[in-house]
Amino acid sequence: MRILCLLKLVPDVDQLRYNRETNTLIRENVRLLLNPEDATAVATALGFKRDAPDSYIETVSMAPRGAMPHLEDLVRRGIDHATLISDRRHAGSDTWATSRVLARYLETRDFDCVFCGTHTLDGGTGQVPGQLAEALGLPLMVGITTLVELDSREGQAVVEVDGETALMQFSVALPAVLGFQYNPKRKLPYIRYEDMNRDVSDRITVLGNSELGMDESELGLKGSLTQVRRVEVDGLEAKEPVLLRVDQEGIDKVYRWLEQKGFLQR
Amino acid sequence: MKRLLVYIDEDAVEDSLELLEVGRLIYGDKGFCSYALAAGGRYGEAGNLFDHLFRVKNGPLPNYDTATIARCIEFLHRTYHFDAIVVPATHWGRMIAPRAAMRLRTGLVADVTGVGTDGDEVLMVRPAFSGRMLATIVCRGGGPVMMSVRPRGFTYTEPVFKSAEFTDVDVQDIKTPGVRLIERREKPVAQDIRESQVLISGGGGVIRDFHLLERLAEALNGMVAASRKVVDMGRAPRAIQVGQSGKIVSPRLYIAIGISGSSPHVAGIRNAEYLISVNSNRDAPICSISDIVVEGDGLAFVEGLLERIEASSNRTQGGQG
Repeated sequence: MRILCLLKLVPDVDQLRYNRETNTLIRENVRLLLNPEDATAVATALGFKRDAPDSYIETVSMAPRGAMPHLEDLVRRGIDHATLISDRRHAGSDTWATSRVLARYLETRDFDCVFCGTHTLDGGTGQVPGQLAEALGLPLMVGITTLVELDSREGQAVVEVDGETALMQFSVALPAVLGFQYNPKRKLPYIRYEDMNRDVSDRITVLGNSELGMDESELGLKGSLTQVRRVEVDGLEAKEPVLLRVDQEGIDKVYRWLEQKGFLQR
Repeated sequence: MKRLLVYIDEDAVEDSLELLEVGRLIYGDKGFCSYALAAGGRYGEAGNLFDHLFRVKNGPLPNYDTATIARCIEFLHRTYHFDAIVVPATHWGRMIAPRAAMRLRTGLVADVTGVGTDGDEVLMVRPAFSGRMLATIVCRGGGPVMMSVRPRGFTYTEPVFKSAEFTDVDVQDIKTPGVRLIERREKPVAQDIRESQVLISGGGGVIRDFHLLERLAEALNGMVAASRKVVDMGRAPRAIQVGQSGKIVSPRLYIAIGISGSSPHVAGIRNAEYLISVNSNRDAPICSISDIVVEGDGLAFVEGLLERIEASSNRTQGGQG
């Protein structure tokens, strides 16, 4: 079983600050994280490989070179190969442009299945899995909570999905794009002590557009079909709250406030 | 006359119909002709609200056959040349819209919560960075303008009664979907937390006795909601999760107990009229946007407030007797 895992590095949104004078996001010194749902997908793939050791797992990321330490870390955790697609010309790509670059790379790979997260923490559009599936002409399922079965001989995956109104089980024909939901119980394995400083450089490939050979007009802002016109902080006004404690007086004040506002029906 | 296509999700028919409001806001009351695609065969009142209604010949198509539905949208666009295509951002809509946008080679904006115009250009507003920012986005290229819209983000305020012309669409070259439903279990239909005026919402700080919140919710005639942490730990169903990845709520009163208030959570409660937070840390992010902050243990607060409410109602009943 050959599994390709799409992996995005996202800024830690709780560290993001906004410069009101220049109307821009302050991205400096903001920690990068593995997008949690993508990490769930990688952990699921590694769990599968534990039972089927001849499986091959490759992660594919589009990110700046700063992503390297994260990828080295993942190889030490047990993935077979990490591919970093890194090119300044990709900056500003929307989901359309991103999906096309990923599709271009995936077309060169032999795989049974693409794993990814359903959403990302930063943009959160959840559009790349669908756009990629369509570009490659593959079946798609997202919102997966459990991988029940993954069988390359039968050519199918059986997955459980938490939809809004129902819990469902599907059989999806391989190769397919499978998007996982965040599951905190499915954690990446620890790095073994002897692997802490293992040289993994032979297991990481960095590609730019010179290797992928797309027309420059298809990349970045130029290649995008949507454009951000402006970004505003949707800041909630900081309030001056009434400060109370959990004691008789505090509870009494809350009670009287609720009564005054009409939340206590007699 | 502009042309607007709305995809009707058979699992969220009512929410899909509300998307007519998007057309009204962009093109005005009489500025557009409305088309509905009811691929799944269920379309509620759409026959009385749209100008045209499409069903699928040899259908209905199940909503998980996202590849064929995307082809269907493409086929309709090639025939009718829509100016805008609007899909509800439901579980299935979020899979269908990207597939269709890729086929149409058009830009797609996800989870839209507001629309407007700037001259001839359609502006779409969506939350980004877990709700911390609002981004205004435009589509480039030849169109159509395409978006998925957050369910219940819009209400079709002044419905116009129509009698739709029904057309059965015959989509050619349909492949087998590659996705087969093995089993489906409906989730119990509980009252929707978005409809409650009072929400008692619990986070990690009250996880050891989450059920106590039920009693306070009952006393205040409200419902219990939860943070993502509680849901991820399996202590509450996803249907009551508040926040960017859960539900966007707008109650009169939101009591956040043991919730620190990460930005995705806060994104879900920005429309609450009053916010009370109970937290052992008065510097938790949620406290700075609260009307009242009660510092201390969340469960002790719930117990104390329940006792206070019960003591008072006993007194009242005593007086009447």
